[in-house]
Amino acid sequence: MNTTLFKKEMKSNWVLLIIFMAVLSMYAVMIVMMFDPKMGDSLRMMAESMPQIFAAFGMLNVGVTLLDFVSSYLYGMLFIAFPAVYIIILANRLVVKYVDNGSMAYLLAVPEKRRKIVTTQGIFLVASLAVMVLYITCLILGTEQILFPGELDTAAFIRVNVGLLGLLVFLAGVCFCASCLFNESKTSTGIGTAVVVYAVLVQMISRVGDKFDYLKYATPLTLFDVDGLSAGDGKAWLMCSVLYAVGIMLMLVGIGRFSRRNLPL
Amino acid sequence: MSVIEINHITKDYGKGRGVFDVSFSVEKGEVLGFLGPNGAGKTTTIRQLMGFIKPDSGSVSILGMDCFDRADEIEKSLGYLPGEIAFIDSMDGMEFIRFVAKMKKMKDLGRARELMDMFELEPSGKLKKMSKGMKQKIGIVCAFMQDAEILILDEPSSGLDPLMQNRFVELVLSEKKRGKTILMSSHMFEEIERTCDRAAIIRNGKLVAVEEIERLKEGRQKIVEVTFGTAEMARLFARQIQETSRGEVSLREGDRTVTARVSKNMDGFVKKAAQFTVTDLEVRPQSLEEFFMHFYGEGSK
Repeated sequence: MNTTLFKKEMKSNWVLLIIFMAVLSMYAVMIVMMFDPKMGDSLRMMAESMPQIFAAFGMLNVGVTLLDFVSSYLYGMLFIAFPAVYIIILANRLVVKYVDNGSMAYLLAVPEKRRKIVTTQGIFLVASLAVMVLYITCLILGTEQILFPGELDTAAFIRVNVGLLGLLVFLAGVCFCASCLFNESKTSTGIGTAVVVYAVLVQMISRVGDKFDYLKYATPLTLFDVDGLSAGDGKAWLMCSVLYAVGIMLMLVGIGRFSRRNLPL
Repeated sequence: MSVIEINHITKDYGKGRGVFDVSFSVEKGEVLGFLGPNGAGKTTTIRQLMGFIKPDSGSVSILGMDCFDRADEIEKSLGYLPGEIAFIDSMDGMEFIRFVAKMKKMKDLGRARELMDMFELEPSGKLKKMSKGMKQKIGIVCAFMQDAEILILDEPSSGLDPLMQNRFVELVLSEKKRGKTILMSSHMFEEIERTCDRAAIIRNGKLVAVEEIERLKEGRQKIVEVTFGTAEMARLFARQIQETSRGEVSLREGDRTVTARVSKNMDGFVKKAAQFTVTDLEVRPQSLEEFFMHFYGEGSK
């Protein structure tokens, strides 16, 4: 890893990270505050009145415990979709943007292997996601401590977040690989966006009813099994490790290809 | 062993674009001009030297190392100025220079400051908002500040005003005295003429010749336009030139201005003209395109 480049990326991208963390904070605090063991009934009534819409957003078994409440409202959709947008933007900035505007020439005209330069970018992407997930984990745990001390199963909640990071690493792998493979920002961003939108949409449809249940096998988001992880289920861990493995593998593929390909600089 | 060696490289981009079977080398301590019109394949050749692209066939090496596989090793002793300057827009000038210096693992910015003074560069302010000339100066500082023993410069003086172009020529000459090996591309003959020992001439992706600069200078003609007092004088003068020196002369009927291409026989030409009343005289060097036509004949086009 090249520390000079890593620091430069920190300086260029901290604002982006802060913006996304601020948005996630707002939702996180809001949802935790909304939790009320007694109020659960009215929310459940609302969910029963329009079950399909709630189901589409992964908000099916709502309100029994704080963990159920948080994992269905936040980890069903919001904490996947927002970070996914962050990933698309950052993966684009880290590699293909430099190639597209030509400034990659300056990053490569240094006594350093291409592999090392682009690996630095990959590490930065994953590291920033780890920071993001760590931050929201701590934030929710902190909010819970203040508002509902002892209501949240901490160990289970941390397992869910380890799983979430796995899913984000997977999405990062897809977007980063595209960023390494193409010469133009718009191609790479297009592919990243298409994969994310497809994955999210198919998951939404698969949740709506039994008729489309089989569609869950067609989206990678199924591999992030929130309920399984909070229960500490072995199969959920296995699926989670598949996400990590495929994400990292895709990054390595991107790095490998980038190191050997012709660049239009 | 040559410092930079290019062996029969071909990189075909289709539609006749790219470079085809190009070979030449740059010796230690030499300044080699890489001359050719726009789109001739200069930058494509330089990209291969920088290890950004691999040749389809043939090989390129610097200091005996393959330019693609060992680009990182080569970079330790290489300064590079890209033809299309693209910086990291979000930075300001000084920040960028510092960043490049750190990436190049340089210890101090002493040389960079000397260069900034030399080019009267005040590199504060966002790069995005800088003029072409300012950006070019920053590019030059970044290429030279490392004090590398080899320099690859792609159209180094484009965007500079004449004063700064002169400073640049002085810089290249002083680096040459210090024993640097330099390859610089250009589409302007004057710049190459003043700095280089030899020139490699490329056209439509093919290497036309590698010549000593002295030979090129000899072969180079001046285009002289002489305006005489009367049309009759112009007619007489044109006839004389045509008879004596087989020079190429053009004169429109009834016009007082004779246009001629003159190479070695400038003395005779001027003395003949002096017999008549000369009201105006204009001399301009041949453009690169005109030079090619003359030096290599129409056939090489």
